[in-house]
Amino acid sequence: MKSMLTVIKEQISSFYLIIRLSLFEVKSSNNNNYLGMLWELINPMIQIGIYWFVFGYGIRGGEPVGGIPYIHWMLSGIAVWFFFNPAILEASKSIYTRINFIAKMNFPMSVIPTYVIFSKLYPHIVLTAIIAIILQFAGYTISIYYLQLFYFMFATIALLLAVSLITSTLATIVRDVQMIVQAVVRTLIYLSPLLWTPKHSEKLPEFVQLIMMVNPLYYIVEGYRSALLGTSWFMIENVQYTIYFWSLILVLFTIGSFLHLKFRNHFIDYL
Amino acid sequence: MKETVIVKNVFKKYKMHKKPSEKLLDIILPGGYGEDFYALQDISFTAQKGDVIGIIGVNGSGKSTLSNIIAGVIPPTSGSVKTTGQTSLIAISSGLNNQLSGRENIELKCLMLGFNKKQIRELEPKIIEFADIGKFIDQPVKKYSSGMKSRLGFAISVTVDPDILVIDEALSVGDKVFAEKSREKMEEFKEKGKTIFFVSHSLSQIKEFCEKALWLEYGEVRDYGEMERVLPEYKKFLKMYKSMSKEERKEFRENAIKKQGGVSPALKSK
Repeated sequence: MKSMLTVIKEQISSFYLIIRLSLFEVKSSNNNNYLGMLWELINPMIQIGIYWFVFGYGIRGGEPVGGIPYIHWMLSGIAVWFFFNPAILEASKSIYTRINFIAKMNFPMSVIPTYVIFSKLYPHIVLTAIIAIILQFAGYTISIYYLQLFYFMFATIALLLAVSLITSTLATIVRDVQMIVQAVVRTLIYLSPLLWTPKHSEKLPEFVQLIMMVNPLYYIVEGYRSALLGTSWFMIENVQYTIYFWSLILVLFTIGSFLHLKFRNHFIDYL
Repeated sequence: MKETVIVKNVFKKYKMHKKPSEKLLDIILPGGYGEDFYALQDISFTAQKGDVIGIIGVNGSGKSTLSNIIAGVIPPTSGSVKTTGQTSLIAISSGLNNQLSGRENIELKCLMLGFNKKQIRELEPKIIEFADIGKFIDQPVKKYSSGMKSRLGFAISVTVDPDILVIDEALSVGDKVFAEKSREKMEEFKEKGKTIFFVSHSLSQIKEFCEKALWLEYGEVRDYGEMERVLPEYKKFLKMYKSMSKEERKEFRENAIKKQGGVSPALKSK
């Protein structure tokens, strides 16, 4: 509990640092390409195209999902995937790849994963805006439900931060953890309602959906979807699920900050 | 005289592993696993305000480890290091981001050292002036020559006005003009009563800059005191070391490794 407070305090007092460092991060990772930061958008666009072709057109034959055309259904959920996926991979290796630049022990090290996560947030906001514009033309006009977007964006950051505090610490001590993270994250695209959903399927028993909902990303993706398509107040209509999500965050964050503080003075010895 | 750096019984222990599986065992087993290697053993000394101390010793005697510990980059395994005021480390690989420009690196470095927006705006022109790398300041650091890199690194570290400065081999790449400029800056620091640690293999540089010398041998303090006294001794040792036959030198090295493999018996009995 005490370590949690320390980490939160560090995050708040270093907010300016996080913003500046994350901007440098965006810049330095895109400096080598002529199109620069545009790649942060081109890349997801290409993948979205392929996903639509394989899953929407190829496998489903253009059949809508619960009355919503597949492409709109997929677009509304997938934006957050292109945030979650690179952010968790990069944040997990953030400490051991960057500790050499941080030539001071008294640097608030818990902000390293945070600023890496923030550096992935900016392209995510742009991508979400583009998808929102596309959805306007498709008839899903902007509505009061859009307010949920801020809540779910915050929830995503909280989830990323809680998980990456654990994974970045463990990956610094044992590099293989990064491989585990990669493998698990790769499966998550199929275990979250991004490309298909167990919800409207008559072939699957109901408990399958329940098991899939254990995955916190499920909560976030469905939340983004109801915000962008303007269908419901997701977090209020599913109060139990909301409580589950935040309890999970609390547990992960407690474990993460405990591990981080326990090992952080010796991170440099594990290089 | 005020004491600015107090190093007391500092040990730095590394574990040597032959295979990755041993590394894993080391993490899992409560007692650890693997052969011990003491990079530093029972280091104790104090430095006063205004001291310029040269750290000397042959390769592998623990100079860089000690300077990193003084600068607070790595923690000691046991023992304590007390420093008063800001410390700043200048090493050849000064942790610049190759993808970013010099100007951006200045801001990045200052942020890492804990300066705020306003302070950085004041420091930036001073750093650029001291580094004196002209138009290259807006070029990515990957295009810099090694001299430029070390000049920028040095400029940042001195301009942030530290109370304790640790210079690890950083002046060996700069040219004469820059060395002269750095020397002036260090004189200025000395007058202001700052403490400077200087690691170098160039004995002439050490002699020129420093007043005191700390001689390390196999991670232990062999001698610490006035430059006039320690340096001749060290030179005598170097001469002897050079004149050793191949076998003798090998024996010397093996002795060193054996000594660093465990706490030496004299210390154990304490």
